[in-house]
Amino acid sequence: MKIWLIFAAITIIFLSGDASARTKFVALPEREETVIKLDNPYFTLVEEERVLTLQKGTNQVDFSWTGVSVDPDSIRIKILDHPEEVKLISVSYPPGENALVWQIYSPQAYEEKIRISYLLKNIDRLITYRLVADKDETKVNFQSHLILRNFSGEDFSMAKILLDYGEVFEKSVAHEETKQMLLLSKDNIPIEKKLTFDARILPWDPEKVMGNVGIPVIYEIKNDRKSALGEFGLWYGKARVFQDDGRGSTIFLGEDNAGYTPPGEKFALYVGDSRDIVVTQRKIKDIKINVRRNNGGGIVLYDTDEIIRVEIENFKDSTANLTLIQEIPGEWDMEEASHGYEKEDANILKFNIKLAPKSKETVTFHYHRRNVR
Amino acid sequence: MNRKIVFVSVLILCAFSYGKIDLVTLPDREKVQLTIYNSADLTLVRESRTLTMKKGDNKLQFSWANTLIDPTSLDLYPLKDADKISVTDLYFSPRITGLGTWNILSKISGKVPCEVNYFTSGISWQAYYIATLSQDEKTMKLEGYVKVKNRSGEDYENAQVRLIVGKIHLLDEIANLARRYPPYGRPQEPLPPREILGEGKFMLAQASDRMIEKRIEKEGLSEYFLYTIEGTETIPDGWTKRLLSFSQDKIPVINLYKYDESRFGKDTVRFIHFKNSKSHLLGKEPLPDGLIKVFKIADKNQRLSYIGQDRTKYIPVDQEVELNLGAAKDIKIEPKKTAYKTLNYVFDKSGNIAGWDEEQEWTVKVSNYRHIPARVEITRNFPHQYWSIENRGDYGNYKQIDIKNVRYVIEIPPATTKQFTYKVTLKWGERQN
Repeated sequence: MKIWLIFAAITIIFLSGDASARTKFVALPEREETVIKLDNPYFTLVEEERVLTLQKGTNQVDFSWTGVSVDPDSIRIKILDHPEEVKLISVSYPPGENALVWQIYSPQAYEEKIRISYLLKNIDRLITYRLVADKDETKVNFQSHLILRNFSGEDFSMAKILLDYGEVFEKSVAHEETKQMLLLSKDNIPIEKKLTFDARILPWDPEKVMGNVGIPVIYEIKNDRKSALGEFGLWYGKARVFQDDGRGSTIFLGEDNAGYTPPGEKFALYVGDSRDIVVTQRKIKDIKINVRRNNGGGIVLYDTDEIIRVEIENFKDSTANLTLIQEIPGEWDMEEASHGYEKEDANILKFNIKLAPKSKETVTFHYHRRNVR
Repeated sequence: MNRKIVFVSVLILCAFSYGKIDLVTLPDREKVQLTIYNSADLTLVRESRTLTMKKGDNKLQFSWANTLIDPTSLDLYPLKDADKISVTDLYFSPRITGLGTWNILSKISGKVPCEVNYFTSGISWQAYYIATLSQDEKTMKLEGYVKVKNRSGEDYENAQVRLIVGKIHLLDEIANLARRYPPYGRPQEPLPPREILGEGKFMLAQASDRMIEKRIEKEGLSEYFLYTIEGTETIPDGWTKRLLSFSQDKIPVINLYKYDESRFGKDTVRFIHFKNSKSHLLGKEPLPDGLIKVFKIADKNQRLSYIGQDRTKYIPVDQEVELNLGAAKDIKIEPKKTAYKTLNYVFDKSGNIAGWDEEQEWTVKVSNYRHIPARVEITRNFPHQYWSIENRGDYGNYKQIDIKNVRYVIEIPPATTKQFTYKVTLKWGERQN
C-alpha cells in the first residue's frame, strides 16, 4: 500500500514550515470500502471509506502517498456519520511532501466514518465489444468487456469497480495488473448490414485500379429498447465482429472502433470490404447550356447538362443493400433519375439500391447544374 | 516438438493469494481449428480442451511465451453447462509476460469441455495459379494452389485448416498486439506504431513440396469465402504446405489485345480473357488474388514455353477475368493521323479568335501476325467532351465509354490485316457553347 492515512489527535495546532517538525501520532485506519469509478475515460476516481477515532477537540489527519500519482487538488473528504457536528477546519499541504493535512474538529470522541475521494493517475479502463453475428447476419450476440489497467502503483484489495452502467465488480487488483471483466452480454440483438459506395472517395472505374475496389461493409446496431439496449450510452471502444459459420464454429469478420453511442443512436462498425459487388461509374454527358454573356461577349453564367451512369454488378448469390452516395456541387435540378434518392443535404444524394442475387443494375441520373460562374 | 502454449488448470485455496495455488490438471489440446486470413496477418485459432472443474473458484492459466498470440483476443467458454459455469474475469498478472489467468466460478465439479479462441499472427496463406494454354490457345488448363506458411512460433498438430478470402478491416496488426506488454498497454499511452512484419525477421521456411490431393470444401460467408481443407493438417512452426485447390482443363479463352494510350502508351498489351463461370467450366467459387504463371504447350511433344505472369485480382463467380501478359509483339495496332484541318472560326468583338473546330482523320491499321484468331480492343481518348465522330471501314463494334473515350472491338482472323477510319471533330473555345 502506497497511500497512507496517518491519523493524529493533537490539542495544539502547530504547523511549522519544517515538515519534520510536525507531530505525527500514528494510527493507520484500514480501508473499509474502496470504489474505483471509471465513468470518466481520462480520469479515475478512487473513493475509500475509513473509520477515524476522533478525540474531542481538533484532530489532525495526514493523507500522504509515495510511488503513486494522486492529483492533490482533487482530494476531498466527506464526513459520513456526524456531518452536522464533525467539521473540517482546514486543509494544508506540507512543503516538499506528497501529503495533505486535514484539521477536523469533533465536539466529542467519535468513531467517525469518512470518505476520501481523489483522482489517481495511471489507472484507467478500456471498453471492448465482441459481437457474434448469426449466419444470416440479422442478429448478433453482443458482449462488452471492461478492461481495468492498473499501473498506478497501488494494490487494491476487493475494490468495487464500476462504470456508469453495467455490473459492479468486486475484485482485487494488483499494481501492474490488467483485468478483463464481462460488463454486458445480450443475445439476439438485431443488426443491419449496409454496403456503401461513396462516389466521392472510391474509384469510379475498377478496371483502372490495381487490385479490387472493396465496397465498405457496415454493421449497424441501434442503441434502443427494441434492440434490448438503449438504457445508457455505450462507451467508445474496439469492437471485434465474428460470424457463426453454421457448423459450430465462427469466422472473424473484422474490427472497428465504435464511437460513443447515446441511447437512440446507431452503433456503426465498418468490418470489411465486399469484393463481390462491383460498381463502375462513368460520366456520359457534360456540356454547357444556357450560356449568358456580358456586353463584351464574355461568358458570365451558364448551366450544365450532365449525365452519370453507374453500373452495379452483384456477383453474390444473395441480395445486398447498397447505398450509393453522389455529390452534385452548387445549385442543381434533377431532370431524370432512374431510381429514387434521398437528399442528405443540399449537395449529397443517397440512392438506396436493393440488389437481387446475381444481378446487374444500372443507375442513371441526368441533372443540370445551374448558374455556374 | 515446439509447443509453447501451455494450459494449466489450478484450484485455488485462497481467493487472493498467488502463493497458494494447487496444480490440478494439464489439459491437452483435443481439437484445433485454424482459420487463416490472406488479407491480413491474422489467424483465428479455436481449441477444444476438457477442463476438470471443482465446485467453487477455479483458476485457469494460459501461457504463450515466444508465440505471436494476441492476448486481447483470448476468449474461453464452456461447451456445455454454460449456466453453471461463469468466467468471472481474465487477468494478466503484474510483471509476467505471456501469461493470462481466468477466474471461473463453477457450480459443478467434473470434466467440462471448453473452447479457447484467440488470434495469432505468423500463419499465412496465399493462392497461386499455374495456367497452361493449349497449343491452339483456344483453351487453358488452370490449376489453383494454396500455400500455408506457419511462422507463428507454435506447432499446430492435426489441425483443421480453413482459409478465408476477403478483405477485413483491422485496427491493429496482430503481430504488434502479440508483442505488446502489458497486453492492453498502459493507461493513457498511445499504441505502438504500426510495424509491418518483414519477411527477413523470420527464418526461411522449408518448403514441403509434396502434393496432397485433398478435397477442399468451399462456401461463402458474409463478404468472405471460406475454404475448408479436408481432414487435418500438421503444420510445424517454420514449415510451409502447398495444397491443390482445384484443377480444370479445357477452359475456353479469348486472346484479347488492348490498345489504349491513356493506360498503356503505344504498346499493344496481351490479355487472356475468360470468365469465372460455369460456361467456362469454372464458377464454383471465387478465385482468390494471387500470382498466376502462364505457360503454353509449345509442340506436339507437350513441351512448354513460358509466356509470363500476372498478379490477379480477386475474381467473384461470374466475373470476367483478364490476365495481363504484357506487351505483345505479333499483334500490331497503328493509328495514323491522315488529315488535319481547322474551320468554323468565330471571333470576339475585338476581332480575336474565340473558337474553332478541328477535324482530325485517323486510320487505324490492325495486323494479326499470329496463326490464331484474336480479339482487339482499341480505346481512343479525346481531350474534352465537345466532339463528334464518324466511323468508316472495318471498325467492328463501336461504343462510347464515357465523355472522353470511345472503344472499338474487332475480331481479327489469323494472319490478317484490317483497317478502319474515323473522323473526329473537336470543338474549341466558343464553339463549345
